[in-house]
Amino acid sequence: MAVCIAVIAKENYPLYIRSVPTQGELKFHYTVHTSLDVVEEKISGVGKALADQRELYLGLLYPTEDYKVYGYMTNSKVKFVIVVDSSNTSLRDNEIRSMFRKLHNSFTDVMCNPFYNPGDPIQSKAFDSIVSTMMVQAF
Amino acid sequence: MSVPDYMQCAEDHQTVVVVVQPMGIVPEEQFFRIYKRIASVSQVSIRDSQRVLFIRFRHHYPPENNEWGDFQTHRKVVGLISVTSCNTAKEWPQTSDRFHGQKEVFGSTLYDSRLLVFGLQGEVAEQQRTDVAFYPSYDDCPDVEKRVEDFVESIFIVLESKRLDRATDKSGDKIQMLCVPFEKKDFVGLDTDSRHYKKRCQGRMRKHVGDLCLQAGMLQDALVHYHMAVELLRSVNDFLWLGAALEGLCSASVIFHYPGGTAGKSGARKPSVSSAADAGKRHRPGAQEVLIDPGALTSSGISADTSAEIGRAKNCLSQEDIIEKYKEAISYYGKYKSAGVIELEACIKAVRVLAIQKRAMEASEFLQNAVYINLGQLSEEEKIQRYSVLSELYELIGFQRKSAFFKRVAAMQCVAPTIPEPGWKACYKLLLETLPGYSLSLDPKDFSKGTHRGWAAVQLRLLHELVYASRRMGNPGLSVRHLSFLLQTMLDFLSDQEKKEVTQSLENYTSKCPGGMEVISLPDGLKLPPVPFTKLPIVRSVSLLNLPVSLRPHKVKGLLGQGLSSASPFIYSPITMHSRGDERSKKIDFQWVQGDVCEVQLMVYNPMPFELRVENMGLLTSGVDFESLPAALSLPAESGLYPVTLVGVPRTAGNITINGYHTSVFGVSSDCLLEGLVGVKSSGCMVEVVPSLPRLQLCTSLPRSAHLSSEDLSTSVSLQLFNGETQQLTITLENIGTETLNTLELTSKTLSTKEKLFGEFLTWDLQDALSHLPLKSGQSVSIPVNISAKLDFSGQESLLNDLNDDGISVTGLPVSSPLRQVLKPRTENKPVGSDASKNEFNHVKTLEAVLTFKYSGGAGQVEGYYRELSLGVRVDVEPSVFFTRVSTLPATRMAIQVDKLDFDSMPVTDHDALRQATVRQQEEKRQQVQGGLINSTLDIHWTIISFTEASCPDNTIPNSFFLTLQC
Repeated sequence: MAVCIAVIAKENYPLYIRSVPTQGELKFHYTVHTSLDVVEEKISGVGKALADQRELYLGLLYPTEDYKVYGYMTNSKVKFVIVVDSSNTSLRDNEIRSMFRKLHNSFTDVMCNPFYNPGDPIQSKAFDSIVSTMMVQAF
Repeated sequence: MSVPDYMQCAEDHQTVVVVVQPMGIVPEEQFFRIYKRIASVSQVSIRDSQRVLFIRFRHHYPPENNEWGDFQTHRKVVGLISVTSCNTAKEWPQTSDRFHGQKEVFGSTLYDSRLLVFGLQGEVAEQQRTDVAFYPSYDDCPDVEKRVEDFVESIFIVLESKRLDRATDKSGDKIQMLCVPFEKKDFVGLDTDSRHYKKRCQGRMRKHVGDLCLQAGMLQDALVHYHMAVELLRSVNDFLWLGAALEGLCSASVIFHYPGGTAGKSGARKPSVSSAADAGKRHRPGAQEVLIDPGALTSSGISADTSAEIGRAKNCLSQEDIIEKYKEAISYYGKYKSAGVIELEACIKAVRVLAIQKRAMEASEFLQNAVYINLGQLSEEEKIQRYSVLSELYELIGFQRKSAFFKRVAAMQCVAPTIPEPGWKACYKLLLETLPGYSLSLDPKDFSKGTHRGWAAVQLRLLHELVYASRRMGNPGLSVRHLSFLLQTMLDFLSDQEKKEVTQSLENYTSKCPGGMEVISLPDGLKLPPVPFTKLPIVRSVSLLNLPVSLRPHKVKGLLGQGLSSASPFIYSPITMHSRGDERSKKIDFQWVQGDVCEVQLMVYNPMPFELRVENMGLLTSGVDFESLPAALSLPAESGLYPVTLVGVPRTAGNITINGYHTSVFGVSSDCLLEGLVGVKSSGCMVEVVPSLPRLQLCTSLPRSAHLSSEDLSTSVSLQLFNGETQQLTITLENIGTETLNTLELTSKTLSTKEKLFGEFLTWDLQDALSHLPLKSGQSVSIPVNISAKLDFSGQESLLNDLNDDGISVTGLPVSSPLRQVLKPRTENKPVGSDASKNEFNHVKTLEAVLTFKYSGGAGQVEGYYRELSLGVRVDVEPSVFFTRVSTLPATRMAIQVDKLDFDSMPVTDHDALRQATVRQQEEKRQQVQGGLINSTLDIHWTIISFTEASCPDNTIPNSFFLTLQC
């Protein structure tokens, strides 16, 4: 499903980033990094519309030639970014949403760990395995 | 049309293009000076009207773009100004011909032209011609601007007449079909009489008239014409021209809404009078309502009467609609492959409008679309330009990261392998501009706060590219700086392999150009601050070490009130300042001495997976002159904490502050200041340096003992004496310092002992030594010290035990007897070796004393400082006499056999015997005193037989004798 999943801290630096084809790792870094521009823009837009504030899902951030980039932001301004293959048309908006929800739940578990220092890179195995379940299906 | 103008913006639709070209040989510098003066006339108010004509000057214009002039008149070259040099009248006819030739290039579209001739004087120059101006030189041409203004006015007259001409075309006349270059062949054989074709012609002409109106400064008319054109063209599905009409509508509306312009060049465009007057009418709801005179549409011709008050501002699009119409226009353009440039430019124009409206999301969609517009084969230069412009536009809408991304792509394009001469300089410059987008600054101070947080993988890549680009630029100093920065800030993100590679290449670079601490200034004003390697090695703690005890300076008490040093009025306060800064500046409570080697201990570790060679490591100080003695060290791979001692010699007195240390690693020398370091423990960095003092070295006649009873002692000697024995110890003091020794004091202190000491333990005579003072450097003095041990060995508990043990006959202490060990396990629990037996008993008593030399001299003495040298003296005193067996005799007399004087263990020489005789006399005296004591209490009478008259013929001492006690 997803080819790249990233968690980005409030201050816009990556807490976690994993992508499927390991050679193209840097490319995904660039993709996710540039998508933050759109996230920021969307957030500043959300502030205006009060009704939208409860909605954490940011929707499609931008499509590139090969990929679609989706965004999600928690109330604590931690961002999740999921990159999916453009050719994968079977993926509906709802499925993307549920992926984000799963990711958010797992992230919450990570934050509940008393030994995790908020702001540090995520090294949790449980989180990793959740991410894996969202990615492996591409193969 | 293949060359897009990336700088275009919506208000360019109301400008006319004038090309300014050099003709023949014109020095470039001169040409651009003239060009600048011409270009300064960018807008001209037309006399007798409120209108303003805007001009775009170009010194280069591709003729194929001119061919699209009918499609959008702002693409049409309407004026030509040629600049030429002409020195003699002979050349004039030729020059004139060339001017006509040049006019031919844009011939079909030109309204007017001018020739500026420089350098020609005389008859030819006298002639009055409107299209030629003569100037004696490039410096002497005061009325160029005036000429250009006249020229612009003449263009306006032609434009205005064309506008009127087109607008008043009679309905019966056949309207010319306007078309774009690629359309021409499509119209061959088309029925020109069909209604469809006529409508098409009308629509296109309307649009064209709209363009002309816009250029001629008649905004409202233009809007009306555009609206009509849109209606007409929509009905015949002429999409390309519909798009153009819509875009014209947008441009006119943008000009109406944003008189300041959308190009971001503030002040470049003065708001025109009419726009300013209309400014109040902005944001009018329902402005998009198209109110067109129905009569104008029904008539097959084009009515001249568009200036009638139809709609006025209502024809103008609202801000929302501008974007909608732009979208529509672009979608129509998108249907034609050959209109790629038009589409791209429209996208760019729309983005600029959206940027002003602060609608970044929509702008990014336009840009995203622009990225995918295929313009066919682009030259490398055009690619670079395209990416740069995309980057600029992304920056305009606040998408810093996207902007950086495209700028980086542009930079990479500059050095693409297909380019024969890669532009490394341009690449490097562009790369530098991407830094903010990747939130990377080249100042290592920004990275010193805690762990690095950022897009390490991306930043790492960028830094590598900077290093490579600067190397290819031929600036190794710059690449060393960037590589050092990479190593310093990204160390945590490098794999072991990468660390090796980076350091290897750094060493390669520094072999040509060593890195230093100077700020590198780039030509464009950017300054690259130095990068100190504070992580190679990582310093964990810094502590200043006190001098060795013997060299510590002491203050003479009473000279200054030393007791109340604390600034607080409270003796004790639980509130202590924990701020770090205070800790650092805190003064340390010991002193260093001028001219003596001082030490600072650093705990360092090497984070690299290989051995780290640190060269030239020394201290950075301030306050006093300090001669740092650099050290070189080699830290093993990923070492743990490793102590390093840096030394130096203060050359003057005062307060010295340790600011940091300098190192040289991989050929890069760095000054690391402690205040910039994270996680460094330090107990203070300021210490007082007192003026120089002499240094004494102490030698003794006796061998030194390894045993130091206390750390304060500089040396100690130990010796064995029998009770009552005296030995002389000669102490030699040598002044090994540079200062002259002026005063010397000697005191002794016997360490607390329970033993009763008779007489003086240590005695000396200092007079002789003092007479040698002042002691110059290198001189020495000797002091004899007498050591005498007189202790009380009587009444020892163990002995009494022995005595008590045996009611009748005490078989004393033949210790070697195994029997005794069996009998008396309770007092002797340590294993007893037969040979070392003597020492196992408590019969050996120890006396300890410390001889302290206080000395001073030189400048330090003036300040009231002195030094102390202490010598520990340890004497093991053995009793001279042992009672080995006590036998109680049944008679009224008691005889005590004293057996085994310990003398048998050592050979007694004549001399020793003599001395021992005196020892024995003393002992005897003492025993007599004791005896008297016992006598008085127990009423016992006893005598020591033949002790004083021990007439031993062969000078040997009897092994034993009897002592008889009478009760």
